[in-house]
This record gives sequence, structure tokens and C-alpha cells, in this order.
Amino acid sequence: MIHELASIYLLSYPTVLVYMLQSTEYQVKPYLKWVWRTKNFTAVNQRRDLDRTKAARLLLLALRLGILLQIAAGVWLIYLGLYSDLTGGVLFGAALMLSYPIIWAHLAVIPLVLGRWFISAPAEQQQIAAAERVFAAHGAVKIAVAGSYGKTTMKEILNTVLGEGLDVAATPANKNVSISHANFAKNLTGKEDVLIIEYGEGAPGDVARFTRLTHPTHAVITGVVPAHLDRYKTLQAAGQDIFSVAGKLKGKQVYVNDESPDSQPFIKKSYQRFSGKTALGWKISRIKTGLDGTGFVMKKGKDSLKLHSGLVGKHQVGFLALAAALAIELGLTHDQVKAGIAKTEPFEHRMQPYQLGGAWIVDDTYNGNLEGLRAGTELLKAVEAKRKIYVTPGLVDQGEETEAVHLKAGKLIASAKPDLVVLMQNSVTDFIQRGLKAGRFKGELQIETNPLEFYTNLQHFVASGDLVVMQNDWTDNYA
Amino acid sequence: METIAVIFGGRSAEHDVSIVTALASIIKPLELTKKYRVEAVYIAKDGAWYWDEKLKDIKLFTSGGIQDYLHRTQPTSVQFDGGMTLVKASGIAGRKQTRRIDIAFPAMHGTYGEDGALMGLLDMAGIPYVGCGLSASAIAMDKVLAKEVATANDIPVSKFMTFTKAELERQPGEAVKNIVKTLGYPLFVKPAHLGSSIGISQVRNDTELRHGLEVAAHYDDRVIVEEAIPNLIEVTLPIMGNDRPKPAMLEQPMTKPEDFFDFDTKYLQGGKKGKGKGGSKGSKGAQGYSKIPAEVPEEVYVRAEAIGVAIYKAFGCSGVARVDMLIDEKTKRIYFNEINPLPGDLYAHNWNRAGVSNVELVQKLVGYAKERHTQRQALTTTFSTNYLQQF
Repeated sequence: MIHELASIYLLSYPTVLVYMLQSTEYQVKPYLKWVWRTKNFTAVNQRRDLDRTKAARLLLLALRLGILLQIAAGVWLIYLGLYSDLTGGVLFGAALMLSYPIIWAHLAVIPLVLGRWFISAPAEQQQIAAAERVFAAHGAVKIAVAGSYGKTTMKEILNTVLGEGLDVAATPANKNVSISHANFAKNLTGKEDVLIIEYGEGAPGDVARFTRLTHPTHAVITGVVPAHLDRYKTLQAAGQDIFSVAGKLKGKQVYVNDESPDSQPFIKKSYQRFSGKTALGWKISRIKTGLDGTGFVMKKGKDSLKLHSGLVGKHQVGFLALAAALAIELGLTHDQVKAGIAKTEPFEHRMQPYQLGGAWIVDDTYNGNLEGLRAGTELLKAVEAKRKIYVTPGLVDQGEETEAVHLKAGKLIASAKPDLVVLMQNSVTDFIQRGLKAGRFKGELQIETNPLEFYTNLQHFVASGDLVVMQNDWTDNYA
Repeated sequence: METIAVIFGGRSAEHDVSIVTALASIIKPLELTKKYRVEAVYIAKDGAWYWDEKLKDIKLFTSGGIQDYLHRTQPTSVQFDGGMTLVKASGIAGRKQTRRIDIAFPAMHGTYGEDGALMGLLDMAGIPYVGCGLSASAIAMDKVLAKEVATANDIPVSKFMTFTKAELERQPGEAVKNIVKTLGYPLFVKPAHLGSSIGISQVRNDTELRHGLEVAAHYDDRVIVEEAIPNLIEVTLPIMGNDRPKPAMLEQPMTKPEDFFDFDTKYLQGGKKGKGKGGSKGSKGAQGYSKIPAEVPEEVYVRAEAIGVAIYKAFGCSGVARVDMLIDEKTKRIYFNEINPLPGDLYAHNWNRAGVSNVELVQKLVGYAKERHTQRQALTTTFSTNYLQQF
């Protein structure tokens, strides 16, 4: 208790506050919620330290100056109370000196709110309006990629495969909100054949807004799962927003992942479904997946394509097949498609296999949804190993569905029959444990109190012949 | 939570190897189990004991800061109070800080540690400790006694001769003459009690032999001279357990015939010396110099494994040990070479290949220590007599 209280009076306290702001991407609500639930401010920075950007340095300077001024004012009032008979001077001065951590934790957001209202928001609006004109006038095939999961993977697959024969531009990394789209538009030459735009939904109305901005001609919907339910509240609301991308598009230009159970209520007859079995009229067979990648055959009439990708997991087949089929529709040759699919490699922290000593680690720590978790557990089932280990802290932003989602997660994990399950001690651990029990998990359960220590010392926990699937990782603001 | 004292350093030529074993292969994995309170107990080269959290930091040793630390720190006392308690000055108003030890984890190599001396002390304290007991350690660390135990158990050894340091100093020429007449060249000259290949020479003529004897006698008061096995394949086998020992993987050092397994090759060159082809199968452990599994015919592999386990049992080893063997590639004959009762880095790289993680390894070893201790506790070592009443 004393240790926790003392943590707000340490010299490092302002840096911790700025770190918390930075980690929540300067969003006021998540920052304040984090501040309010934090008891010990010395234990906040577990994963990384403050990235001292210009904004962070300015904010830190302002905080320190403000705190110094408040302390000085407190000292002055105490002085006046003691030597100039100022009534209540000592009391008020002491209160000022003691209250600065609470006051400045909240005052820190004021420049952000003001800055957003009066500077960045108007500037962003102008930029977005200019981008809307660029997208509207651009003659390329504009493919929007939306969904609760797999968006970046789908976008990268399309980019790699279509790029074999066409001039393709895609939104970078996971930059997938309006301002990122506007920045993307600024760099377009106007001569591109294909634009691929990822939609990063986070709250109701996001996808509809992205659609109005980017004027897609085609849409790929990767699937719907419980995600961002803290904002959407219900899966229905999330699904409606994601499927709003179909809006004015012709049904045939909307491609929906048929393997997503929660997408089903939103799929119209006119949409084109794709899966690990079929994509745009191509039949898929002979799927083989392992840690070296995934192979499959696509057939349509007399046409046959034997493809192999570096991507790991059976769940990737539908995405790869759709990209291949779309590429052929857009005029690429079979050889170009084969070469494009062969070039697709696992992306960092997304089903990325690597060896540690003699053990195979599948790093899927960027994943954060139930479908991804299903894919990870399927992989655990499919690959032979001396010992199978499954590691997860659970999923975030599941709102009211948190308990139900983690019970399902526990059952899914149990179904893969891992020898060892490693969970990170947090608010969802009990739910996963209950799911494991319900799924009759018979292996060993290890609960880690310090996730970072576990991840950084992984080499001490694994041995040759082990297969370790690590899914999701909670940043400090979720811990 | 049980307290484990990891004891390392010591008055041995292998002092530095011991530090790496303790910090990298024992303390870290033990702490990661979160099942034990782990105390670092460092024995300096002068024999003084120190107990401190700071001693868990390898940088203290690699930076040379340890000298400054030793200069300004009071050594720790060890209290034998029906167990073992570490005692040191806390620095606060002259108060003492104490820590009762539940289990000891020796990480000592060579003299005054691996040779049974520390095990004797821990036996006296009556606490469980990891690894071989006093007698197995003492015999294992004496290369001459070890060969005699192997011979008594019908396990072949290479021909050898032994000399005391005094004998070599008194009549060096006579010793050389006898060796050449009895064994011939090439030969290996070794200190009888050191590990980590310290002080070992491979000699091919009288000059090298004289020099080799001088070097070995510099480290030890007893020297052993062995004939070289022709068509040699060196292999080593880590084994763990008490009554039912389990082998890890047969490992083959990647040395050329003209090289041998010396300290430099093992620890300083990362296996570069004599590293041949087949690097893809090489394992990079603390020593990073070997093929796992050894590239020998399956029948030889199985036989070497059986011999290794037989040696382990014959020596009465418990916890963990590593058996080194020599194979004549042509005749397929397997010779016992030596046994190491506390292998450097616990041979964790080999156990990893055998499917045992570092964390599991230290936990298993602690389990074996407790099992042996329980068995020993059940033995009766005292009984009442009326002997004193006669006086």
C-alpha cells in the first residue's frame, strides 16, 4: 500500500504518465481508464519504455514544468501561512503539494483534447477531403479489405500475388484508418492498376466512413468475430459495420470468407463466397500444411494450378485461393500466379514459424481474435511434435462477451490436446481455465505472472522436438 | 518456498567455467520455475564465501568488477545448525542477515568442489544437494581410480601409467624412458584430478612428453599417461537419475584426429578448432563443438549408451554426470575414458536435444537430490551403546 502510494511521488511518475498516453495512442478515454485502475505506477512499464518522440518530449516537459509550478505554489502558500499569517495557507499549501500527481495525471489530457479539436482534427479533415477526391478520380481497381481478422494478411497476399503482373499499391503495414488512407492517397501516381485499402474498424460507423472516403470497386470481407466489442457492444453491430463496405457495390464484386460462422447472417445471395474448398468457381483440393508452408491444388474446368505458399495454416488456403482466382480474372498468367503465391511468406508475429534450439515456435502474438485462435489450435493438432505447448494471455476488447469468448477459447485449446498450456495471469485467466476444464484438458497448466519474463526466456522453457504456438500478447495498457 | 543455494566459483582451475555454469544454466532456469528462492553463493579463488543477489549478474564477473566487490565486501559465514544457514552482515546497525538453506545446488568444477570436498561438507550439514555424492565424486575426479573401477567392472580402458609429482621431479628421465617402453607414442598426458581438459597434452615424442608431464604436474600432484586409441572417435554421454539413470544423447566432439578436446577447444574457440564438415548437425552448446547425435553405427550407439549407464551405476553416481568414451572406429571397441560428476553447463544443450528444457532439467535434478536425501535419511547411522558407561 505504502509502496503503491509512493509510486506517484517518484521522479519517474511524469514519464510513466506520458508512456501511458503514448501506449494508448493519445486517446483520452483508454488513458484515463488505465490511470484510474493503476495502483502501482512503478509497475506500468513492463514491455517497453517511453519512445521519446517530439510530442512525447514536449508533453513531458509541460508536465514537469506544471508539477514544479504546483509544488512551488504549495511551498509559497505554506511559507505565507507560517510567516504572514495567511489563513489556511499551510493546509492549502500542503494539499497543493500532495495532490499534484492526481491533478497532473488528468491535466495532461487537456493539451491533447485542445490540440485535437483546434489543430489536428481540422487539418485531418482537409487532408481526408483531398484524399476522397483522389480516390474518386482514380481509375484503378480499388479493393477494400475489411473484417475483424486477417485483413493485413489478405491485403499482403493480394499485394504480392497481383503485384506479379500489375502495378499495385497497398496501404502500408496495419495503417488502416481514415488519416492513413489519406496519407496513402497523397503518394499515389494515378497510374496504378490496383489499389488495396485495408479498413481497420474500431467503432460503429468506421467502415461506412472509410467506404465513403476510398470509393472501392471491390470488397473482400475476411470474417466477423467478437472484436472491439468495448465500442461496438454487440457482434451484430460489428458485423453490420463491416458489411457496410458492400454498400453500393455490385454483389459479384463482394468476396466473403465463407469459413467465418459469424459472417453468415450478413451474406447476401449476390455476394461471392470463398473458402478452403472453393473460390470464384475454382475447386480446391490436396491441401497440405506444415511448418514449411501450405500447398494446394486449384481446378476450374480444364485449368489446374498447383500452388505452394510460405504461409502456415489451413485457414490461409481460402485467402490464397481468392487472391489467385482474382489475379487470373485480372489477366495474370498461371505462371505469374504461381510465382506470386510462392512469394507469400509469414508476416512478423502472424503465424510466423521459427526454430529455437531444436524447438519449433509459431509466433502468432499479433493475433487477437477467436478465429485466429482456432487456426492456431488447428495447426497444433495438425503438426507432429514430441511435446505440444500452447501459450496465450487471452483476447482483449471482447466487451460483454469476454467470459463467453474465453470459455470457447479454453475449449478450443483443450481440443488441440496440448501437453502444456501456458496462460498469463490476468483478468481472463479464470475463464480460459474453466473452458479448459469444460474441454476436459488433461495436460499440464502453467500460469505465468510475468509474461515478458516468459517470452524473453522462452529458450529455457523449450527443448528439441517441442512445438510451441504463441497466440496474442497483451501490451502494458491491457495488463 | 524452498531456498536453494547455488554454490559456484571455488579454488579450482575451472573457477571461471563454474561461474558460467551457475549463472547461465542453473540460477536463471531455477528462478524461472518460480518455485524456489534462489541464493547465489560464490566461493572466491582464495576460498572465501560470498552470498549476494549481485552475484547473479554475469556482468560483475565479465567486467572484472568482482575484484572491487570482493575488496569491499565481508565474506559470508556458514553456520551448521542441524542444517545449513548463511550468515552475513546486513550493513544496517551491525545486524546479521541469515538465510537457511533447504537444498544446495553445487555448480563447482574441479578441485574443492566437484571432487567430493563440497559434497562432504553438505553431507555434514545434512541437507539435500544436487549431483553425485562424496564417494562417486571423489572416485570420478581421480582419473586413475576411475579407470580401476571401470576395469573392475569389465569395461575396457586404454593402457595407462601413473606418476606422483614427486616421482616426476625426482627422476624425470626415468619416467619418460618407462613410458615410451611400456606405452609408445602417441600419448595423452593428464593431471589425474582436473576436469574441463585443463593441463592435458597430446604428445608424439620425448620432448613433448617431458613438457606434457611438466604441465600436468604443475596442476596436480598425480599425473596419468595414457596410450592414444587408434582410429579414434570421442563420444560423451550425459546421464541423469538416481536408481534408474536415463541417458541424454550420445554426443561427438567435432575434432580432427590431430586435435583433441582441450580447454581452448571447448570453451574459448566455440568449437572452431578442428571443426570439420557436417556443421548442420553440430550443436552449439556452452562449448558449441559437437555433433548430436554422434555419427556412429546404431549398434555402436546402443552399446555406448549401455556402457555409459553401466559406468554411471558402477560409480554410484546420482543426480547427473557425463561419461566420456573412446571408440576405435575400425574395431568398434568402446573404451571408458573418464566420468565427469558435474558437467560444465550441466550439458543443457544435449539435454535440450533429448527433449529436456533447461527449466525441466534443473527441476528434475532438484527432485533427484530430494529423493536421495530422503533415502539417506531413512538409514540408521547412529545407535545407543553402553560404551561410555565403562569409563
